[in-house]
Amino acid sequence: MADPIDVPVETNHNPLQPPESYFVPATDVYETADGLTLVAEMPGIKPDGLAVTVEENILVIRGAPGPEVSDGEVLLKEFTAGEFYRAFQLPADYDTERIDAGLRQGVLTLTLPKSERLKPRRIEVKVE
Amino acid sequence: MAMKAWVPAARPFAELQREMNRVFDSVFGRHFRPVGRLRSGYVYPPTNVRETDDAYTVACEVPGLEMADLEVYVTGDQLTVSGTRTNTIPEEGVTLHRHERDTGRFSRAVTLPGPLDSARTEATLAEGVLTVRIPKTEEAKPKRVEVHLGD
Repeated sequence: MADPIDVPVETNHNPLQPPESYFVPATDVYETADGLTLVAEMPGIKPDGLAVTVEENILVIRGAPGPEVSDGEVLLKEFTAGEFYRAFQLPADYDTERIDAGLRQGVLTLTLPKSERLKPRRIEVKVE
Repeated sequence: MAMKAWVPAARPFAELQREMNRVFDSVFGRHFRPVGRLRSGYVYPPTNVRETDDAYTVACEVPGLEMADLEVYVTGDQLTVSGTRTNTIPEEGVTLHRHERDTGRFSRAVTLPGPLDSARTEATLAEGVLTVRIPKTEEAKPKRVEVHLGD
């Protein structure tokens, strides 16, 4: 079990106001030697409806859908177009200036590299 | 009819929620705080069906899947969507903090009310939503019958 401050946790204390109502995207969060990866499912969201922001070390992902198709008669309705929203408190070890974001088939993938100062570094020992 | 997982506007409860989180965190630590309800329903994939005069349109939410991961069949009056959701998390050298995305094989069949024109069925995949448009057969399309005045 990692130290609690080393992992992203969900937070209600975020500087950005959440929408009135929203969907919580199912998200995988994992860490490798290089950094942190978040993979969030946001079906129906186009790149222009997506917003990823970091403020006070809080990562906020939001997705606004386009207009819903409304022609014809509804026979079955199991999902509706709605806004996606989720906020994560980030540990300080990540370089939020270099977040890489990709959106493909309704899945948002964010990679945050580890801060250079935290990467393991070999110190050369000089023999006098 | 499943219409779940819409997180309702909860402003009056936000303060209470915060307080509960604080208490929860102090007892269990921040890792295990219950998350908001996820969008996934009981059946996968969540599906919408619409009917117009000349076709049925079936939409399925399949985020992350590519066309090659999906099989779409029309048999009689039934549409079947099958596929496999693959795990994208590397197997080694990983510390997993959250694993909420499901993986594995799925298949779902939807029976539509009338005869289907399977030859002219078209499927498109965009933004993780599969949309299948299945035209009705000529015989199944509504025809207006002229009503003549009797003698």
